[in-house]
Amino acid sequence: MIPIENFLVLSGILFSLGIYGVLARRNAVLILMSVELMLQAVSINFIAFAVYLYPEQFTGLIFAIFVITIAAAEVGLALGIILRIFRNKGTANVDEVDMLKW
Amino acid sequence: MEEAWLIPAMPAAAFVILLLVGNYLPRSGDWLAIGAIAASFILFFFVLADLLDNMVGTEFDKALGQSGIDWVSFGDFELRLGFQVDQLAIVMLAVVTFITLMVLVYSTGYMKGDPRYGWYFAAMSLFVAAMLTLVLADNFLLLYAAWEGVGFGSYLLIGFWHERRSATEAAKKAFITTRIGDVGLLIGIILLWREAGTFDISEIFEFAEAGGYSTAYLTTAVLFLFAGAVGKSAQFPLHVWLPDAMEGPTPVSALIHAATMVVAGVYLVARLMPLFVVADPIALNVVTAVGLTTVMMSATMGLVATDIKRVIAYSTINSLGLMMVALGSLSVSAAMLYLFAHGFFKALLFLSAGSVIHATERQEVSELGGLARRMPVTAAAFAVGALSMAGIVPLAGFWAKDEILNVAGDGQNFVVYGLLMLSVFITALYMTRVVILTFLGEPRDREAHQHAHDAEPVMTLPLLLLAGLTILAGIVVFDGVGEAVGFPGGIGEFVFLEGPEAFHFPWDVAVLSTLSAVAGLAGGFYFWSGEAEPARRAGELFRPAYEILKRKFFMDDIYQWAIDRVVLVAGGMIAWFDRNVVNDTGVDGSARLGVFAGFGMKFLETGKLPNYALAIVTGVIVLAIVFMAVRA
Repeated sequence: MIPIENFLVLSGILFSLGIYGVLARRNAVLILMSVELMLQAVSINFIAFAVYLYPEQFTGLIFAIFVITIAAAEVGLALGIILRIFRNKGTANVDEVDMLKW
Repeated sequence: MEEAWLIPAMPAAAFVILLLVGNYLPRSGDWLAIGAIAASFILFFFVLADLLDNMVGTEFDKALGQSGIDWVSFGDFELRLGFQVDQLAIVMLAVVTFITLMVLVYSTGYMKGDPRYGWYFAAMSLFVAAMLTLVLADNFLLLYAAWEGVGFGSYLLIGFWHERRSATEAAKKAFITTRIGDVGLLIGIILLWREAGTFDISEIFEFAEAGGYSTAYLTTAVLFLFAGAVGKSAQFPLHVWLPDAMEGPTPVSALIHAATMVVAGVYLVARLMPLFVVADPIALNVVTAVGLTTVMMSATMGLVATDIKRVIAYSTINSLGLMMVALGSLSVSAAMLYLFAHGFFKALLFLSAGSVIHATERQEVSELGGLARRMPVTAAAFAVGALSMAGIVPLAGFWAKDEILNVAGDGQNFVVYGLLMLSVFITALYMTRVVILTFLGEPRDREAHQHAHDAEPVMTLPLLLLAGLTILAGIVVFDGVGEAVGFPGGIGEFVFLEGPEAFHFPWDVAVLSTLSAVAGLAGGFYFWSGEAEPARRAGELFRPAYEILKRKFFMDDIYQWAIDRVVLVAGGMIAWFDRNVVNDTGVDGSARLGVFAGFGMKFLETGKLPNYALAIVTGVIVLAIVFMAVRA
């Protein structure tokens, strides 16, 4: 059996990549993709722990499916917003979209 | 006794109607106010008949006199809107309803043509309603409410001509000065209630007689109650409002500042006498001392006052002091007899003084004089009142004053007795003075004298009735007179504290007091007749004494100083604290802190997504570190 550490390291790397992408990218679509990476890291964690700790239960697996579903919904919503912003401002750069401030 | 509540309800209803639609009624509704009080006066006879029917000998079961409704009840605390009729209340009812009726009839002449004629009668009705409630109240809360109602009515009426600055000042002075006493009354009521758990007066009596209060506690409480009486009855040191209250219309002075409101304090002490008896004797000694001080101060101030109404005002304070001395000597009978007689002759004095003022539009005695030839009826009425006040046999004042001298002689030491005798002399002196200066001698203001004449019948009739009663009222002391009209006997057998007080007539007291009074009369004639040369010389001779009296023992100056230097300074400091600390720092400061913080924090809202993302990530990391640190 593959040791659990391998899964945890993988999900840690994925999550860190996601955080880096969210903080460093300026394109809204890429930020969205980075968020997806973080979500998948969480899903891997869920499944890994589920299999290793409670192999007879399905809780972790079901949670992973939930995450995927919600991620899909979120992507649909977020892409819609990004599309509107692009239509209005002609850019998807989040630095230039700063109207909601003091 | 069930109908007793109607007595105050009548004028109260008249007040409400006059207030709402008074201006649409013919004659501004004066007939309504008079009709209401006349109805109260008639009802008084029914209540009196009821009371006499239920009396067994000289005893009356107080429970029979009670009526009323439950007002408020929560938990086991109950408050009744109750009325209590007993002998004491009956005497007050007689005085208040009759004098008010006379004064209101007189007022239709005196106040004719006044722009606020209707409001005058409305305010009078309000005042009388409050006074009658005060007389009949069977619990302290109702009594206190009525007490304040009386004070408020007096405030309205003293300041009736509020276009005059002096009138508004006098109204405020009266209200605030009596209010100082009222605070004491309220404290006393609360003290009594705290231990007994009830406001009902007779239950509190039972509680006190059963020893429910410790002596020191009860003494403190009754002294606080007495403070209320001191304020309302214009006793030293709160007497200063009464002479100034003469700014009101003269009938108001006659009603409020002679016959009714100011005796409320006397009535209160008389009503609460059982508490004074149980309390330490110090309480009664305080009553006597305050009364005696008041008598001496007011009598001497009356000697130099130059306003005809003020002289009578001082004589009122004098009389009230006498009543307090009587109460201090434990004689409710003597005090109530004096109250009864005083109501008639003092109203008479004020109303005839009102006729003088009405006819001449002057009230300084230096501008009057020689009016007896022009207005003989008024002069005769005034003279009867003055003689009664001086205590000349057989007028009402003689019997009443003698009774007080008598009980003071029995119950007090010779200093009290001697000072009272002296006050009789001084009273006769200044009453003679005001009669001479107003009605005798040569007119000092020709023009005013020319126009003076006796007032119209509607004003003269009350004078004559009151004069008749002033002459006759004193005979209520005789047992035979009382028995003839169905009473158990004279007033001593009707109103008393513990047992009936049979009428007795010690000749030594009567002779001494008559001698003092006659000496006062003779002295008055010697000093003030003609050009009043002896009086002027006496004034020159005793210059400092004259100045002290003229300045009213500096009482007003002392109060003014206290107000300027103590009250206003303390008020200024409190106002400063309120403005700077409570308002500017406490209220405005916290609001300003919010505004300032919001202004500073808003710059965190950059609108840029990466900043928010960074903040979220940083926050999660910090929380994670904290979480781990706490777990470890």
